[in-house]
Amino acid sequence: MGSVNIAQARKSYGALEVLHGVSVNIANGEFVVLVGPSGCGKSTLLRMIAGLEAISGGEIAIDGKVVNTLAPKERDIAMVFQSYALYPHMTVEANMGFSLRLGGAPKDAIKARVAEAAKMLGLEDYLKRYPRHLSGGQRQRVAMGRAMVRKPKVFLFDEPLSNLDAKLRVQMRSEIKRNHQRLKTTTVYVTHDQIEAMTMADRIVVMNGGVVEQVGSPLELYDRPANLFVAGFIGSPSMNILSGRLENGTFMTADGTAFAVPGMASFGNRDVRLGIRPEHLCLDPNGLRAEIVTVEPTGSETQVMMRLGGHDVVGVFRERVVNAPGEMLPVSIDAERAHIFDPQTGKRLEA
Amino acid sequence: MDRNSTGLVFVLPALIVLAMLVAYPVAYTGLLSVTDRQGAFVGLDNFSAVLGARATPQAFWNTLWFVGGSIVFQVVFGTAAAILLNQNFIGRGIVRSITLLPWVVPGIVAATTWAWMFHTEFGIINYMMTGAGVIPEPIGWLTNGSTVMPVLIAINVWKLFPFVAIMVLAGLQSIPNDLYEAARVDGANFWQEVFHIMLPQVRSVIVAVTLLLVIWGLNSITIIYAITRGGPANRTLITPIQIFRLAFESTNFNQAAALSVMFFAVALVIVIIYIKALASTPGEVK
Ligand SMILES: Nc1ncnc2c1ncn2[C@@H]1O[C@H](COP(=O)(O)OP(=O)(O)OP(=O)(O)O)[C@@H](O)[C@H]1O
Ligand SMILES: [Mg+2]
Repeated sequence: MGSVNIAQARKSYGALEVLHGVSVNIANGEFVVLVGPSGCGKSTLLRMIAGLEAISGGEIAIDGKVVNTLAPKERDIAMVFQSYALYPHMTVEANMGFSLRLGGAPKDAIKARVAEAAKMLGLEDYLKRYPRHLSGGQRQRVAMGRAMVRKPKVFLFDEPLSNLDAKLRVQMRSEIKRNHQRLKTTTVYVTHDQIEAMTMADRIVVMNGGVVEQVGSPLELYDRPANLFVAGFIGSPSMNILSGRLENGTFMTADGTAFAVPGMASFGNRDVRLGIRPEHLCLDPNGLRAEIVTVEPTGSETQVMMRLGGHDVVGVFRERVVNAPGEMLPVSIDAERAHIFDPQTGKRLEA
Repeated sequence: MDRNSTGLVFVLPALIVLAMLVAYPVAYTGLLSVTDRQGAFVGLDNFSAVLGARATPQAFWNTLWFVGGSIVFQVVFGTAAAILLNQNFIGRGIVRSITLLPWVVPGIVAATTWAWMFHTEFGIINYMMTGAGVIPEPIGWLTNGSTVMPVLIAINVWKLFPFVAIMVLAGLQSIPNDLYEAARVDGANFWQEVFHIMLPQVRSVIVAVTLLLVIWGLNSITIIYAITRGGPANRTLITPIQIFRLAFESTNFNQAAALSVMFFAVALVIVIIYIKALASTPGEVK
């Protein structure tokens, strides 16, 4: 097991810099998820940890040892690829035991380790099969088994679930999580799916455009997003962002819609962005009047898209909404749970 | 006319042409092999005459030597070249094109050029080797019974290994990069990548190419005939050349036909055994 320390890591392809100094410290045994929109550099960072991509600047240390110039095999890491990258000409057993075989381990030791991993993953019946005779979920498990058999210091996952259907994804999600709880191996997990990030991570690293936007536990990110990007990225449906002006503790949009925001008087009078999560809107006969655009019942709750104060706003209500589009819906905003951001820098403003 | 016979009418012209081009020569060879010059039926006389000739078994063994020796080195060098050309290095495009050259040069041109290069007195090979002191005096590469076959095999390998290289290279390029990366993370060094990733992944290509090489090898005449005509003392006489000489130098078409029929049968058996043997290996073709 080992810690991973990334200090000011940079990556350039020729003149193009895609990672602009990323620093993350991952403790021994932690499950850290790198999340961010497509192209933000998650895979690149992961591959730099793995040693598959050269490090253009900064330092990466695994278990206290700087690995910048070490080959992948000297870093004691194991990686699960998005495509699984199983060796097509080897059986499941050979795939899982390949690294031990290369390391010159005795045959019965390999067999024992493979059997142990196979048992953990429910693969005992498939050991003699070739990868092409397995379903997507089974291949995914073999890929994880191949990583587990190594007993590495760090597991690296690059979007391992993105080729699976929704149901299997949920199942594998909890399986990965459970295996982590049993093995306690430090894990770095890349995904662009924020639900995966929220449900699996001990800590989430939100990346955007080659920089780290925020690092924190899932609920920290949810409750106190450091900036507009994180606010919009974490949570589904995303947080509503309203532009307006704060005056004497009252928030007012350009069209004059206004409501009090308690505890914000200390900001004085200034332009702000106000963020409010969909679940923090509630139906209230005395509330603001919003025009319904669409109503999407999911059964347990209702998602309503509406126009409020000149913005498109989404609300999620536990009540059933029977009104038709075009009608007015009275809603109130749970302003104590509103987030205030600086409109220029996008940074969170704290009272 | 019903649907079927209408269709038949349409394909008939093509069938007739095909029959004339393929079936007729085959059938006529069969007929020639059991008749004499006057066309009278002589049973298996031609076969026994050919089998009785001293050159026949020698040509048979020479053929096996030539084809077997060529294929081993063609496949080994071709695959090695493909692996090399699949690496990243500066000037790879140029090296790839140059490697192709022997395959592009017409066989007869290559044969003549090599014949000159191996010439005992005027050849550049003896000149350079004696000059560098590798050999004390010129060697009669093409006239010496013990060197002539290896030299011809070498020329044949030179001519065809680029073909193997291109085919295997195409196979190598279709291997997803992930596999190499997975292997590197699993701790493989370059040679382990070669043996555990590259070769297994291009196995089916090599199998198919080898089959082609067997068929071409059994038919190869150009290089040997242009350089040695089967000599010296039948040392490089392979069966196709023996057939050619029987037919066009001794104008004994009937015996040539008999030999062809037997050669065809042996070649067929070899090819069938090869395909059967490879089809029955446990299925691990992608
Ligand atoms: N070999 C390369 N040459 C040039 N640019 C590259 C190369 N590989 C990646 N990039 C660029 O680096 C950036 C980060 O790529 P990366 O694959 O890390 O994104 P990602 O966050 O994993 O996205 P996704 O979620 O789509 O997988 C992208 O803008 C990409 O275009
Ligand atoms: Mg990626």
